[in-house]
Amino acid sequence: MTTEHVLEQLPLWIEGDLPDQAAEAVQVHLAACPSCQAAAEQLRTSQLWLKEALEPPFDASDFADLRQKVLGQIRLEQAAPPVRRFAIRPALLAACAALLVIGLAWLQERPHVVAPPLQKPAASPLVAATAIPADPSPPQIQVAQAHSAAVRMRARPREEAKATASAGITRMEFQLPDSNIRIIWLAQATPLPDRNDAPQEAL
Amino acid sequence: MSAWAGSLVMEEGVLSLPEVPVADPLGAIARRIRSGEVDAFGELMALTEQRILGLAWRILGDRELARDAAQETYLRVFRSLESFRLGERFEAWMIRIAVHVCYDLARKRGPRMLPQEALEATAVILEASGAEEAVLQQQRRSLMRQALAGLPQGERTALVLRDLEGLPTDEVARILGVRPVTIRSQVAAARSKIQHHCERLLKRTHGGQP
Repeated sequence: MTTEHVLEQLPLWIEGDLPDQAAEAVQVHLAACPSCQAAAEQLRTSQLWLKEALEPPFDASDFADLRQKVLGQIRLEQAAPPVRRFAIRPALLAACAALLVIGLAWLQERPHVVAPPLQKPAASPLVAATAIPADPSPPQIQVAQAHSAAVRMRARPREEAKATASAGITRMEFQLPDSNIRIIWLAQATPLPDRNDAPQEAL
Repeated sequence: MSAWAGSLVMEEGVLSLPEVPVADPLGAIARRIRSGEVDAFGELMALTEQRILGLAWRILGDRELARDAAQETYLRVFRSLESFRLGERFEAWMIRIAVHVCYDLARKRGPRMLPQEALEATAVILEASGAEEAVLQQQRRSLMRQALAGLPQGERTALVLRDLEGLPTDEVARILGVRPVTIRSQVAAARSKIQHHCERLLKRTHGGQP
């Protein structure tokens, strides 16, 4: 073991932090190397001085004071009425946020229908809109039973263009965000005015 | 606390039972506190206040700040007792909390000015030739505290826990959340710097003899 290597190991050797084999090798070297012995002695001295200098300067009154303050604070906290904390779990928060987003998206995308003047509806309205073959007679539009209030549907520009262009039956299809629902609207040849008046009441 | 579980006297003599590791006494008090016996917290403090207050002072180097740190440590210990895992040594868990509290207070305090007394002691010791041993000792203490205060935080904490609190390297590593090899490296560097500090400032005394 070289002197340089031993000098590097001394800070660990001095407090017993070397593995046994390495510690023994240092010990053997120290027995034959006066300069390393002197270095080890200085380290030992500085460690002793450090421990002597860092003896805590507290007495019984300090500890009593500390105990009084801590226990006093604990008693205050114990006596105070419990504070209800509504810990909102991240998962619950995420679920609420998702519902909010879905709701807003539904409000944005929900169909708005300007229904044409209707004739008396059939006796049993269907639950969902169904496709009706082209017919010169006024179309029978079944209103979904679930929508008791008026439904407004925003026609897309291209459908409006079709309606105005055609002289016969106008067929308008509206695909809702739900891919399972498509509303097909058959109108008379004369295009209806584009009006945003009061919605058609459900029948 | 003795680790002996007891002994059995037989006709042939005394038969000593093998050592049985004693359950953590502080852990037992913690269980009592958790079960509602809040007054037992005073017992816990009586058994640990010297260590916690001393540790805080060694890390922070300031008496008042150490008192604040110790108070905050105990309050955090009380409030987070439910999170203590009974498999761990309770005192080690407390020490970890104390170290974090000290770091928080040191951060709020900001960079620390070296105490004036330490700087003056440096000048005096260089001129000392016939000073009283007691005065020299006082000055040496100031110098050692100065040396410790000048270490980087990680090295200082590792040195305090390993050399001054006497904790094993593995436990220091668990408390600080690092590997044992890191602790060995830090304490070796800290010891070297402390010794170098002594060597430089005590050249003109009597060969640095204690």
